[in-house]
Formats: sequence, C-alpha cells, structure tokens
Amino acid sequence: MIGMFSAPLLVLALGVAATAEGPPRVTSESTEYCASLTARLAGMPAARREPSRSLAAEGTRLCGSGHPQAGIAKLRRAVKAAKAEAP
Amino acid sequence: MRILVVEDDAEVARFVKKGLQEAGHKVEHTGSGRDGLFLAASEPFDLLVLDRMLPGGVDGVRLVETLRSQGNRTPVLFLSALSAVDERVKGLKAGGDDYLTKPFAFAELLARVEVLSRRPSAEVPATKLRVADLELDLLSRNVARAGKRIEVQPREFRLLEHLMRHAGQVVTRTMLLEKVWDYHFDPQTNVIDVHVSRLRQKIDRGFDKPLIHTVRNAGYMMRDEP
Amino acid sequence: MPDNTPLLRVPPPLTARRRAEPGKLAPPRLLKSAGFRFAVLFAAMFASAAIALVAVLWWATAGALDRQTDVAIRADAVALSERWREAGQNAVAESIEERLAVDVGNEAIYLLMDASGSLRLAGNIDRWPPEAAERAWFRTVVRHDGFEVEARLHRVDLPGLRLLVGRDETEREMLRRLLTEGVIWASGAVILFALLGAWLLRSVLQARLRPAFRTAAAIGGGDLGSRVALSGREDEFDRLAQTMNAMLDHIGTLMVGVRGVSDAIAHDLRTPIARARAKLEDAVGAARDEAALRAAIEEGIADLDNISRIFRALLRIAEAEAGARRAAFAPFDLVPVLRDAAELYEASAEAREQRLEVDLPQQLAMVGDRDLVLQAVANLLDNAIKFTPPGGSVRLAARQTASGLVIAVSDDGPGLSPADRAQAGERFFRADKARATPGSGLGLSLVVAVAHLHGGDLLLDDARAGEAMPGLRAELRFPLP
Repeated sequence: MIGMFSAPLLVLALGVAATAEGPPRVTSESTEYCASLTARLAGMPAARREPSRSLAAEGTRLCGSGHPQAGIAKLRRAVKAAKAEAP
Repeated sequence: MRILVVEDDAEVARFVKKGLQEAGHKVEHTGSGRDGLFLAASEPFDLLVLDRMLPGGVDGVRLVETLRSQGNRTPVLFLSALSAVDERVKGLKAGGDDYLTKPFAFAELLARVEVLSRRPSAEVPATKLRVADLELDLLSRNVARAGKRIEVQPREFRLLEHLMRHAGQVVTRTMLLEKVWDYHFDPQTNVIDVHVSRLRQKIDRGFDKPLIHTVRNAGYMMRDEP
Repeated sequence: MPDNTPLLRVPPPLTARRRAEPGKLAPPRLLKSAGFRFAVLFAAMFASAAIALVAVLWWATAGALDRQTDVAIRADAVALSERWREAGQNAVAESIEERLAVDVGNEAIYLLMDASGSLRLAGNIDRWPPEAAERAWFRTVVRHDGFEVEARLHRVDLPGLRLLVGRDETEREMLRRLLTEGVIWASGAVILFALLGAWLLRSVLQARLRPAFRTAAAIGGGDLGSRVALSGREDEFDRLAQTMNAMLDHIGTLMVGVRGVSDAIAHDLRTPIARARAKLEDAVGAARDEAALRAAIEEGIADLDNISRIFRALLRIAEAEAGARRAAFAPFDLVPVLRDAAELYEASAEAREQRLEVDLPQQLAMVGDRDLVLQAVANLLDNAIKFTPPGGSVRLAARQTASGLVIAVSDDGPGLSPADRAQAGERFFRADKARATPGSGLGLSLVVAVAHLHGGDLLLDDARAGEAMPGLRAELRFPLP
C-alpha cells in the first residue's frame, strides 16, 4: 500500500522538479473545448434531431453560465447521440 | 578366595569381613563406591560383595555396570536394604549375580558366597551325579543308593539334584525356593523343611550313613562325612 | 494404654516461603499467561485471514479495475496505430478528437506530438510527461477539473510521432482510499477484539482453574481433605477436577493405609520387640553358664528374624495395596502356579496326615503378578493345613466363570464365624481360636491386598454349612483379563 502512494508522490516530486508549472494539465475541460464541441456538432446533420438537439442546447447554456464541465458532459452526450443516429 | 567388600555401614562391614575371614577367605574392605570401583578394576578379586546404596556418587548398581562394561566378569553379590522385587531385578540386570536383602543371616551370605565362587566348569556337563554311594542319573531320571533303586517324585528329583550339585556347600531354604521352585516369596511356615524331611526318609533312612545334613540356622548340606 | 502420637510425621513443605497466602496463588504475569498467548495466537490467525481476504478483495476489485483500464488503453492504442497505418498522421489526430468528443465519462487522456516533442498535434493534455521517456507504461499525476489525480498512461511508439494513450484513475483512487480506510478501521477493530478476547480468555481460564489452584494450595498447606469444586458443566475442566479428586481420594486412602501400617507397627510389633528384649535382658542377668547365654542369644536372633519377616510381609502388603506392582503385570497361565503351590504344601499336608486334593482345568489364562498370586494361594493353603485336624482334607480348586477366574481353598477345620470373617482381612487379626497357632496374622491381609491389586476380591464362607466343624472356604476371585 505504501508503494502505491510513493509512486505518485515520487512523480509529483519529479514533476515539480522538472516543470515549474506543476503536472500536465487536462485541456478538455474549459470553455474553449465547449466551443470546439459545438463546432463539431454544427457539422453533424444528425445533431439537429432529438435527443441531440436539446442536449446540445443544454450543454451550450451550461458552458455559457460558468459550468464548463457539466456543459462539456452534455455536449459530449449530444455528439454521442448524433453519432448513434447517423448510419 | 579374595573377596572385596564395599559397604559403608561400619558395623555390617566388620561383621561380614570377620565372618568371611573366619571361613578362610582373604577380605578387603572399603566404604566408598569410588574406591571400590578403582580397587575392583585394578586388582583381581574372586568375588565382590557390594552394598546397593553407597556414598560418593558411585552406587552399587553403577559400580557393577561400569565393571561389566569394562569386560570385568568377577561375580557380584549385592547386599541391600531395598527388598522390593523391582530393586532385585534392577540389581541383577545391571550385572549382579545374586542379591541378598538386609537384615540377613551370615550363614545365608556365606552359603551364597560359596556357591558363587564355584564357577561352571568348561568340561562336558555330567550326566551322572555321585555323592558317596548315592547316584543320580540325569538322563534316565533314576535315583539309586548302594545299588538299590529309589522312587522319587519329579520335584524331589530336582531337590536332590540341586543338593548334589552343591555337595559340600550350604544351601539355604531361600536358595532352594528360588532355584528348585523358581519363586521369590516368604513362606509363613517351614514348608521347605517338610519337603527335605520327606526326601530324607527316602534316601537316608535305612542306609548306613545320612547324606543330607541340617546346618543349624542356615539350611542344608549334602555331605559324605558324618 | 496405647500411645496416640502417630509415628508418621508429615515433613514441613519445602516451599514454606510461598505459604503467605495459601488460598491465593498469583496468576502468571501477562506475558507468561497461557490464556493471553492463546488469544494472541487467535488474533494473529484472525488478522492473517483478514489480511488474506483484503488482499483477495483488493486484487479482485482494484486489480480488476487496473486490468480493465489497461485493456481499454491497449485496445485504444492498437486502434489508433491501425488508423495511422491506414491513413497517416492527420487521420490519427482526427480519431483522437472524435474519441474525446464522445468521452462522456471524462476519463480518456490522449496526446499526439511530433517526433521532436515541440508541436502538439492532438489530445487533451498540455505537455509530454517526463516519465514517458523512461517507460512505456506508467502512472503520473495530472491536473483534472482542478484536482490533481492519478492517470495511467501508455506511450505508443510510431515513426515520426509520439503518442500517449491513457485513462484518468480517479475512480480507482477513490476505491483504493475506501478500501484503505476500511482496512484501517477493520484492523483497529481486530486489535480491539483481540485484546478484549485475550482479557476475556484469560479471566475465564483463571476462573475455571481457580478451584484447582485453591485446592492444591489448601492441600499444600496441610488440609488433606480439600477437594476441587465442580462447576456442574461436565466439561474438560470438570473432568480435570474429577480426576484430581479421584487422585486425592486415592492418596488419602494410601495415607490412611500408611498411617495404619505405622500404627500397626507401633502397637502390634512393640510387643514382640519388647518380649525379645526382655528375654535377652533376663539372660544377661540370670544365665548360669556360657551355653545358656548362647542359647538365649540364638533365641534372640530367631525373634529378630521373625520380626524382620513381619516387616517384610507388611511391606509386601503395602506395596500391593499401593498398586505399584500393577506396572509389572504380565500374562501367565494360572494352572502351573496353582500346581506348584499345591506341590509345595503337599508335603506339609502329608506330614500332618492330611489329604490335599487338587481340581484344576487344563489352563487358565490370566494377567497379573505371578509371585504375588503364588504367595496369596500359599497363604491360603498354609492356613487351611494349619487349621485342619489330622486325617482331614484340604481342597484346592480353580475354574473360569462368566465373570472371571475363581480359586477356592476349602478345609475341614473349625472355620470362621461371620463376625470373625469380616475382620479376617485386617492386618494382625487373629481369631481367638487361632491365637495359639504360629503365624503373625498377616497372611489373609496379604491375600486381600493381592486380590484388590488385580481388581478382584477375597470371599470367605463356610465350606459345609450347618455342620459342627463347617470348615472355611476361601474364594479368591479375579476378573477376566
């Protein structure tokens, strides 16, 4: 069990030592990504049908009102739904 | 005979030494087991008379065991206050040849000493035993005196055989019980005497001289002289 | 007037310094306590089992998750490699973005960079982690949703490209934390229960053993009547208590016996010793010449021999009663022993013009002490011959019955009255009619002792009831081997 804790600790130390900015950051959680997903949806014909359309609308609204993670989740579901629809 | 007496009780030692010397033996005495072992191992003795319980770390049994392990075959007679059968067996198993419990009659001691001194000879075992004109044929189980055949019962035959084999030596009642009847116990009455007396009736009465003699306070002896 | 001071004195116990509180024996210190050690052993086994269970659970759950994650990552990596082979770099980048777009679980991590590591082509982390240079599969910390979480990452080597495929391990982290907390709480509980159990076990053991301790201490202090209290539960401790009590009862009997022997020696042998002494003293004063002195001394020796014989007989009886000779029991055929006994006494019978009849089967197998049995039968025959008038007959018979072996010696003498019969087995008892005959009165008590030693008994009865001289029939009974 100690071993499992020491690996990330070690990595953290290395990460701190190596990069002054800290560990690698996931980039798919910001409003930019919201926009990227919305753009993608725009290019998918199936996105205009339900359930994708309302999911996308919800997602966009959440993104705009300061909840990017929730919005991204909805937008992703919209993309998934649109893909499922399309042959 | 040269006899070594190892006994720590001074009175008993004196008693035994004096009695054996009077019987014509050369007696040496020591009171410690260790000295006794040293003496017995370094000098030739014909017989050892050992007390079981000795001071100094080497008791009678250990003494005999040590001697026997060294290859010493000198006959050993144990004297002991320990009369229990297991103690007897222990003493004999250790290499002792005979075992006498205290208190003992000196005659008993002397008789047993004499018996132990006579080692079995290397000659062919005799088939006939003879004392004066009494003959015992071991093969045909016949008894005859002065040529006349005498009828005896099997047990009487064995009794007579034992007396004749030890002719000239004292045989005590206890020894007879052990050797002829193969039992170790104390009869309440003179049961052995009655057997000997009956044997006497058969082989002594009507002949010129008696061969079975009573030795007072000791036992019996088969002897040619009067 | 008999002197009541017992000859036997119990020596003071050697451990007198421990006698301060005879009732309280201090329980062993904790580390030496067997109860504590049992509990520690139990706790250790329980803990080992618990650890084994946790290890299995861990492997099954967190381990399964790990394996699942790795499988998913590998499948992803293979698919992406295929894509690159089919359609090249841009196709891979597009594939990555598509995957990210449908990643509802928010756990996928990708990074596609060019070979130099300076141009980011696709993916959702901002830089190449340094561990990737060393290992193909590794774990590292990433910032996700504001938190620093562990991620499992796999480096895929493609010519001209650097590809990283991975998964966020937040869930796994959570599960692991849950399990760890659970294990810590459980360990705490295990230790608590173990200590509790140790204390409980120790108190229970102490409580169950206290009666035995108390009794042993009481007996050590001199109260020989003390016995271990039973709890009524009929369990192993009660059995121990019962065994101890049986042993104490037997020791009590033996001690009574020993005291009895010493009392008998004191009372009954004092007389012959005093008599012998008186005779010698008399001779010293009144002997006229050496011959008379010599005769007196020889009589003294005979008296001493007699006393010696009585001592030996008493010792034999005590030995037989103590049961020590049972260890030397061996199987033997009773019939030759009986024939030998008959033959021994046949001469005596003949001398008194008595007839000794013998009625024995071919063989009677028995287990016991051959010498003692002969002695017992010899004593019975001796008595029979002694008390039968001349011309009478003594009969020795033996047979096997359903319950065991029976040896019967019957005579033509005056027999024993029922009152005398009851006392016959006691030491030094001589019926009034017998006081004139030789003997010490120990013969029958030895027979009784030998019978009991073999688990049997001696029964006395009239040989021919109703007649003027009914004669005695002594039956020595032995149980089946």
